[in-house]
Amino acid sequence: MTKELEHSFVEQLQTHQNIVHKVCRLYTNNQDAHNDLFQEITIQLWRAFPKFRGDSKFSTWMYRVGLNTAITLYRKSKRRIQTDDFDAIQFKIKAEEYDNTEEEQLKLLYKAVHQLNDIEKALVFLYLEDKDYREISETLGISEVNARVKMNRIKKKLKTILNP
Amino acid sequence: MDELELLKKDWQSDKPIYPELSYDDIYKMLHAKSSSIVKWIFYISIIELSLGIALTLINPKIESPAQFPNWIDTLSYFSIPFILVFMYLFYKNYKTITTTDNVKSLINSILKTRRTVKYYVLFNLILAGIFSSVLTYVSYVEVNGGPDVFEASAHFKEYAVLGVVIVVATIGITAIIFGIYYLIYGILLKRLNKNYNELKKLEV
Repeated sequence: MTKELEHSFVEQLQTHQNIVHKVCRLYTNNQDAHNDLFQEITIQLWRAFPKFRGDSKFSTWMYRVGLNTAITLYRKSKRRIQTDDFDAIQFKIKAEEYDNTEEEQLKLLYKAVHQLNDIEKALVFLYLEDKDYREISETLGISEVNARVKMNRIKKKLKTILNP
Repeated sequence: MDELELLKKDWQSDKPIYPELSYDDIYKMLHAKSSSIVKWIFYISIIELSLGIALTLINPKIESPAQFPNWIDTLSYFSIPFILVFMYLFYKNYKTITTTDNVKSLINSILKTRRTVKYYVLFNLILAGIFSSVLTYVSYVEVNGGPDVFEASAHFKEYAVLGVVIVVATIGITAIIFGIYYLIYGILLKRLNKNYNELKKLEV
């Protein structure tokens, strides 16, 4: 029975692994940390899996556990703090050589998102995934109005980071 | 142009960001050890709970020829039900931690579990304070010739010195324990507290 459960879980996670990769992309800055967080999310998903009743989509359920792990359970290693500094330096250099190509703009956008705090990142993540404010508010445990207000503030904050 | 719309377009393009993990890769991760903050809190709490029990069982009377007041024994026994209640509350709170909850409730339940153990430690510190005061008193009197000699010869000055020694010793011991405690949890819960406050701020 456990083997069957394991098999079904691994198969589903393998199909939807991009969701977990996306969470890791937002909350980590290097490959090692990315792998660490991916592993921790996998462990937490597996622990919660017996309670997954299938009344919500597997992917929706993954968002919640993935974000919860990234925001509350995952412990950042020291190695990553150094990388953050490195990224900040890189960001400054990049900002100076700003050029208007889409590729370049995207890089800057990702860097800017990385400067947001954990909760802001979660809002951005759900927004990018095209979740409506009802789902965003349910995932974070805040009211719909406040989720909307906060999202507008984040947009402004991103603008300020991009055009200081 | 809304910057986020550009990001959204790229985000949803579904081009693989990282090398795809195989079935075996994921299977291996399933059996890896978790390093989550909840696990750390759980282990540290278990150590704290055991230390509390040890403190209650190790009576200061052991290996000491000095006379201890009887109420020390009674106090030890009275603390046992309290410890049991704390352990039950800790277990109950720990069980409510679930990753499928919303972010705010999850952080709240982790912090609540932590708070239970915090109160437990506080309870133990008070108990330790009482025990160490009595211990200091008894030892001091013993060094100065035992209770009979001390009481016969002691004046205000001796009592004042004794009082100061008790206060300093008790404060010293509890401050060290509290300092270590504060340091461990300050580091461990910094991020959690920050995120919780951020969410609370949104609701104001």
